[in-house]
Amino acid sequence: MAAPDALQPSTRINLESATVLVLDDNGPSLEILAQVVSGFGVNALLRAESVAEAQKHVLAKTLDLIISDVQMPEVDGCEFIQWLRREGGEANRYVPVILVTGHTRASQILKIRDAGANFTVAKPITPKVLLERVYWVAREDRMFIECDSYVGPDRRFKHMGPPPGADGRRRDDLPAEVGVAVEANMSQDEINSLMKPAKVSV
Amino acid sequence: MSVVRKFRPPNRLKAMIKVRGGLLAKDAVAAAETGVETLRDPCLAALDEALVEIERRFLPEVAGREAETFEALYDLVSKILDVAGFAADASVDQAAISLCALVDNCAEAEAWRWEAVDVHINALRLLRNHGATLPEDHRQAMIDGLHTISGLKAEIG
Repeated sequence: MAAPDALQPSTRINLESATVLVLDDNGPSLEILAQVVSGFGVNALLRAESVAEAQKHVLAKTLDLIISDVQMPEVDGCEFIQWLRREGGEANRYVPVILVTGHTRASQILKIRDAGANFTVAKPITPKVLLERVYWVAREDRMFIECDSYVGPDRRFKHMGPPPGADGRRRDDLPAEVGVAVEANMSQDEINSLMKPAKVSV
Repeated sequence: MSVVRKFRPPNRLKAMIKVRGGLLAKDAVAAAETGVETLRDPCLAALDEALVEIERRFLPEVAGREAETFEALYDLVSKILDVAGFAADASVDQAAISLCALVDNCAEAEAWRWEAVDVHINALRLLRNHGATLPEDHRQAMIDGLHTISGLKAEIG
């Protein structure tokens, strides 16, 4: 059985009025992102090939979603998100952000974790995976944390498990699907005995 | 001492996706796939261009390749990876990830492992030209071998 929050083929999703910014310094990669997002029904799509260009969009428009590459020359995607979370203006500071990255360099792992993005997706991207993640960031209910060293969604969400449909990356991640029971149901007496208050001598 | 503020900001996207209308997820994915498919030729051309550039600068017979930076090769392989979805049936994406991991490890160690680089470049060329027609188990064996060489297998395991 699929998890209740997983994106189903029959789930209806309306992005017609969303304003989405896609940022990637590599032209073909930016085109792929733009085509995917347009296919999702987004009418207001803004493209940027550099962080400087993206910052102009952030300061001029109200955005509903940002999808950004990580590896870029001069200023990278992580630094852009850190800027966004502090200086992006009240309209856009808390906008959901999905980072896309090919291989993640060892030296970048903590930087990506601390950038303040809502989710990271591996390249090469596929429409199915990206739509699942868009759906996830649209529905997630994480607290935002703002302090000297970090602004962004609470990074401690291990207890929530991996996104629906994902296998998880940690050995102790539990799947959202509970599966079919393999043992007989407990009797009511057995359940009662688990909850029955017992006298204890003090 | 740092003051920590915890709060729930408004999420406009949350309300937006529920508005009547829109697309079924399966239709949105299909429309996106159709749109992406129109980019196949230019993206494969960009992939080939990056691979030719890698061969031009990093194959063993190239004089002075030792002077190249780790960053230069990493960036070129990243360009392949960006569009490698179009060559995923040939496992080019996985070979590119393995080469990225290798170059990153070399950069961390500040030393090239040229034999490993050569094997990866040759594998990328082989997979790009013939990967889609290779039996799946042969292709997977190649990828497993590359992962072992690059150290990616240890990272994944």
